[in-house]
Amino acid sequence: MDAKRPTTAKAPDPWDIGFGVIVLAVSLLAIFVWFPADIKGGFFNTTPFGKIEPGDAFFPVLLAAALAVLSAIQLTISFIKGSPAPSAGSEGRLTRSNFRFLFIFFSICMAGLGIMFVLGPGIVWLMRELGLTDATYRHLTDTAPYKYIGYVVGGFLMTVTLITWTEGRVRPAGIVAVLSVLVVAIVVFDVLLTNVLLPPNAEF
Amino acid sequence: MELVLEYVIRGIADVFTTSSGAFDWMPLVMVVAGLFIGIIVGATPGLNGPFAMALSLPVLIWVFGVSDDALLPILGFLIGLMKGATVGGAVPAILFNTPGTPDAYLTTLDGHPMAAKGEGPKALKVAHISSVCGDTFSDMALFLTAPVLAVLIESVLDLPEKAALIILSLSFMAAVAGNSPIKGLTVGVLGMLLALMGTTLSGNGPRMTFGIAELGNGLPLSSAILGVLIVGEVFLGIEEAARERLSKDGPKSAPALGDNHFRWADFKRIFPNILSSSVIGTAIGALPGIGTTLAATLGYDFAKRTSKTPEKFGTGIPEGVAATEAANSSVSGANLIPVMSLGIPGNFAAVFIILAVESVGDFTLGPHVFRFTEIKEIEGYGTIINKDLVVAFAMFTLMVIANVCNWTLGGVVMRSLGVLARVPKSIMLPVVLLITLTAVYAQDGGFIAIWVVMIFGLIGYTLRRLDISILPFVIGFLLSPRLEELVRGGYSASGGDPLFLLKSPIALAFLVASVLIVYFATRKAS
Repeated sequence: MDAKRPTTAKAPDPWDIGFGVIVLAVSLLAIFVWFPADIKGGFFNTTPFGKIEPGDAFFPVLLAAALAVLSAIQLTISFIKGSPAPSAGSEGRLTRSNFRFLFIFFSICMAGLGIMFVLGPGIVWLMRELGLTDATYRHLTDTAPYKYIGYVVGGFLMTVTLITWTEGRVRPAGIVAVLSVLVVAIVVFDVLLTNVLLPPNAEF
Repeated sequence: MELVLEYVIRGIADVFTTSSGAFDWMPLVMVVAGLFIGIIVGATPGLNGPFAMALSLPVLIWVFGVSDDALLPILGFLIGLMKGATVGGAVPAILFNTPGTPDAYLTTLDGHPMAAKGEGPKALKVAHISSVCGDTFSDMALFLTAPVLAVLIESVLDLPEKAALIILSLSFMAAVAGNSPIKGLTVGVLGMLLALMGTTLSGNGPRMTFGIAELGNGLPLSSAILGVLIVGEVFLGIEEAARERLSKDGPKSAPALGDNHFRWADFKRIFPNILSSSVIGTAIGALPGIGTTLAATLGYDFAKRTSKTPEKFGTGIPEGVAATEAANSSVSGANLIPVMSLGIPGNFAAVFIILAVESVGDFTLGPHVFRFTEIKEIEGYGTIINKDLVVAFAMFTLMVIANVCNWTLGGVVMRSLGVLARVPKSIMLPVVLLITLTAVYAQDGGFIAIWVVMIFGLIGYTLRRLDISILPFVIGFLLSPRLEELVRGGYSASGGDPLFLLKSPIALAFLVASVLIVYFATRKAS
């Protein structure tokens, strides 16, 4: 998969073909399966006066049809003329190293966001189990420190892990920068602005 | 002429007064604040103008609200930000050879060698003066061209023609941005399709939501655009920083300072380059989707070709810095020509100007803005006036104020920000991601905004890696609801004629031009 893509525009590139095939399949699925099941209004509607007007499916079907035509043209060009050479500095494809990056990156983000989501409610649940409070997290979403716990811990862990992974080492400057940004974000979004909630408090 | 002058005066007065007639200094303060923050953003690697505009828009809406009085302070800040970031971008390019944007790469060619010779401050002065000259020239072109173009369009175009014009703009962007026009057009249509999720014109309930109730009101617009434009770029930046371990490249020791005085003779020397690059940048900027990189490349190339000493370009001469900075800065004002006259954004900064206008107050952009309605006082009714035109002239006034501040204070701020260019991307980009996630959550009130921003970030990352321009996707996403209205309205107005787009000669000409542009661009790419 990491093999270099040809720099000439003669051979059809598997990624080029794959892009065209996926778009063609998605557009046909949209017209024949997705839209009929997920759009209540039809392609045309008849008004109470008997006039026929475009319905809610009219424009989406036109766009999906345009997608199908464009992808068919792109596939035809790729087979006949070959794929265009990628721009300088670009491979024109996702390499194994890109997939590895995305996997690690999203794992770190999902873990951080997961902690952000569950930590506050989890701590309050534990306190209730231990008989330390009667309140649920819903009652405490505007009470410090509960409203900050998930955001600060989850946000800190996610961002510092990303910095550490990027730099290959733990640096105090990175930790200080993240803590400063968290403090500023709390001041701006929680203290200065009213009717705004930090994550994850709007969910409860 | 008297009527035009009256609208101009009312526009200027609108900047300094509230709707109740009280003196208002806030728009002025916001322009200055936006300009300063913009220069700081431009001077910081990993940050750029559109990113700062995207993040500041929700904060500005919270602070000022969405009333008509809120529009000018918000637009003032965004305009200042846009102009400041353009000027500030030269700082890291000149001082540390680290261009924050592709067009700033060309500034490094002569700017960094000047800094290496101890002429860094002089190179920054040249960059500043060239940048503000280019920007001012471009704004003048906007002030003169947009009203004329809009009046012309408004008098000629009806629903089918306006629909065909949007198709033409999208085709043009797909043809010029990226190496595969057909794929560019495909992602543009894909962006249009995604924008239709949730909302319907008929009110028959949500559509295309896969049964997800949170999507009933459609995808959160700013989260989606922020995802593709900014978060996708952050993904890419973090990957590259991880690969290159940028943070380990420590700052190089500063060379001894040489002659850093910028004299009148220096200005006379670089003025022809500033002028030619300003014309090139303005012409490029007026066309949607081409962007600053081509303007900077053509400006630099023209200066080199017409120079008596072309061999000196790249060795650290002021002409090289002036040619690139004037060219890329003159794109920004001209980019607002299609925005103001057609309501079609031509670049990322323009996208956020349109978002601000759509979110705040009653003002809408498009050819109707420049309708010079005769001003009449009617007793018991009030004044008949085109308020949109007054706001348009107020916007122009804000741009002039931003330019004046840029001329007078911009250079001082710019030259004091060298330290920011040393902030490593490896710290900046994850922090940018955290701020973005916090802002979209707070703005849209739920994790749905975070999922949308991450998914659209992944779309932006994938398109960039596949070497497909993201601009048609973003513009398609933004213009889709308007195109649907025009197509459905045009179809109904034609009495159900399926060929209504082909019956109007102008619409037909636009559609033929779209096909030809994509055809020739595809042929060239193949």
